Amino acid sequence: MSTGEPNDQERYPLLGEAGRRMLDFLREHPDAPVYRNHSGNRLDAEDLAYVRREEAAVLSSTVGWPRGGHPDWLGDFVDDCCKEVPHYAAYAPAARFEELPTISRADLGRDIAAFVPDPVPLDRMINFQTSGTTGHPLLLASHPRVAAGYLAYHKRALRRFGVSLTAGRGDVGVVLLGHQLTCFTYVSVTPSMDEAGLAKINLHPAEWRSPADRAAYLEALAPEVIAGDPISFTELLLITPKLRPKAILSTSMTLLPGLRGELEKTYDCPVLDLYSLNEAGPVAVFDPALDGHVLLQPRMFVEILDDNDHSVPHGKRGEITLTGGFNFCLPLLRYRTGDFAALDFVGGEPVLRGLEGRPLVRFRRPDGEWLNNIDVTHVLRPLPLARFSLHQRKDGGFDFSAEGPAAAIRSAHEALAGLFGPTARIDTRPFPPVAGSAKVPQYSSAFAVSDA
Amino acid sequence: MNQEGPSLEHLLRRLAETPSDFLAEPWTRSGRGNVHVHAVVGDVLACHECGMPPGESWIPDGSGPSVRTAGVALLICWLLADPELIRAKPAGPALIALLTDGAAELAGQNAAAKYCTDPERREELVRFALGRLGFRPAGETVAQATDRLTALSSIERNRVLIASRKAEERARAIREALARKAAQESADKYTRE
Repeated sequence: MSTGEPNDQERYPLLGEAGRRMLDFLREHPDAPVYRNHSGNRLDAEDLAYVRREEAAVLSSTVGWPRGGHPDWLGDFVDDCCKEVPHYAAYAPAARFEELPTISRADLGRDIAAFVPDPVPLDRMINFQTSGTTGHPLLLASHPRVAAGYLAYHKRALRRFGVSLTAGRGDVGVVLLGHQLTCFTYVSVTPSMDEAGLAKINLHPAEWRSPADRAAYLEALAPEVIAGDPISFTELLLITPKLRPKAILSTSMTLLPGLRGELEKTYDCPVLDLYSLNEAGPVAVFDPALDGHVLLQPRMFVEILDDNDHSVPHGKRGEITLTGGFNFCLPLLRYRTGDFAALDFVGGEPVLRGLEGRPLVRFRRPDGEWLNNIDVTHVLRPLPLARFSLHQRKDGGFDFSAEGPAAAIRSAHEALAGLFGPTARIDTRPFPPVAGSAKVPQYSSAFAVSDA
Repeated sequence: MNQEGPSLEHLLRRLAETPSDFLAEPWTRSGRGNVHVHAVVGDVLACHECGMPPGESWIPDGSGPSVRTAGVALLICWLLADPELIRAKPAGPALIALLTDGAAELAGQNAAAKYCTDPERREELVRFALGRLGFRPAGETVAQATDRLTALSSIERNRVLIASRKAEERARAIREALARKAAQESADKYTRE
């Protein structure tokens, strides 16, 4: 087991001639940015066989469970957790699944080691770090096979939109975009796609010899898929490289339909809004035809809970709580995500409706009427904003920050004025151009919930 | 101890009324003793619909520890033949582990007769056996059963100590593994959260 800086043999154990040429192309292109970091697929031959087997299973399995029931794998999964995972092994026996305790991000943060199953070998463990919305960094146990496993769920999501990935030798499979002052950037290849290239780049101009290189480089790469978040996509729309991706994958933040529409129009391809967590990987993808997020993981059970860990009736909002997952280093047993939605069934398929990244926040209009954050999201939906945050002060006034085209921010201000009434004081300002990678709470209020 | 088993009182009474045959000296290959423990174990396992494990023998080699272990195994056989325990359907591997490793651990502390005549040791054996089979006495919570067993049994206290030391070592190893540079560098994902 290596304890120091990994070398290329460890990063790309299966690297062939085509992969080496791809890495050189990505790094040495005359318009390439400064690559600050290293990463790799870390997959050996056994790993690759495992990843392919898992992908086939993910693509051929159904997702879901009988309405009001449980998936058939749940009992064995719980038994294994209670035998092998120190935190869960301490649970008192429960007659029903619903009597088991829930866990939250805070539990994982207190001691991640207690959530790693005893049989998992540690020599190839990797970590995913997340800053989250609370500002408390979280270190999560994972494995190269888990990281590579993401692709299967993306393929499942893409299939829903009629897209199948075919990038292979000599192609660039994906470019992951960031737009931050500091950003983890690297190049790699994907062995399960015949060493197609992968580049994670930062669109911030400081990372490039010339800002114009950004479009030239992206056009040279011509990636099959573009992945990123609404902030980087907003920057992409300003750069407007001539690209023909098969799809755009959006994660990390709420993707407003306005921005999605702009991206679809510009790149003439489906834009997938993925609900994905470091703790669980890609959980769901938004399907406009169903007006909700459909689940992607065959071995993931979703409950919607109230504050007392009780299931809410179907169609009612509550906290998304996950059991299962494909990260064998971190099996989740009733994990409260901190995200909220309602669960519905459409043709037997579970669908998350009205997914919001955090608990309901209520805002008071000057006339005393209470509105909630869903009302706010609703009026801002058509606008191409990269992100926004709304805070109500104790004096009843609002601080609204948004990132996006100036016209869209002006429209957002007007929409909020229309929602809260002409006497509401709304102070609107743009976000700092690049505020780093930390997530900003989208909604907050100085009023306690009990005031409502 | 996740499942509820028979009541403590019931099993204590059974153990207190152990027939003398189950406390007799085990037969050894050299011809000492008169109870064929290996055969008794086979009969008891059959009651639990569990086959004899290949390669396992309850015939002592004549050494003191092996005779004591066989003696304790014989006493455990009497306990396991209880109809309520048979109805509770303990798992086969747990039964065999109790009759091999469990019997050896108990025999390291006391002779079989002591586990029958001394009230505290009697309770220790009953609780120890139930615990190893994944049961707790009827009417007790897991916490109550665990506390009482560790209070009574030095074997259990030792086991808990070793287990907690192992758990601490494992947790430290996980934290160290996650802190390695190679772990921090992470691995490729098609999207980032």
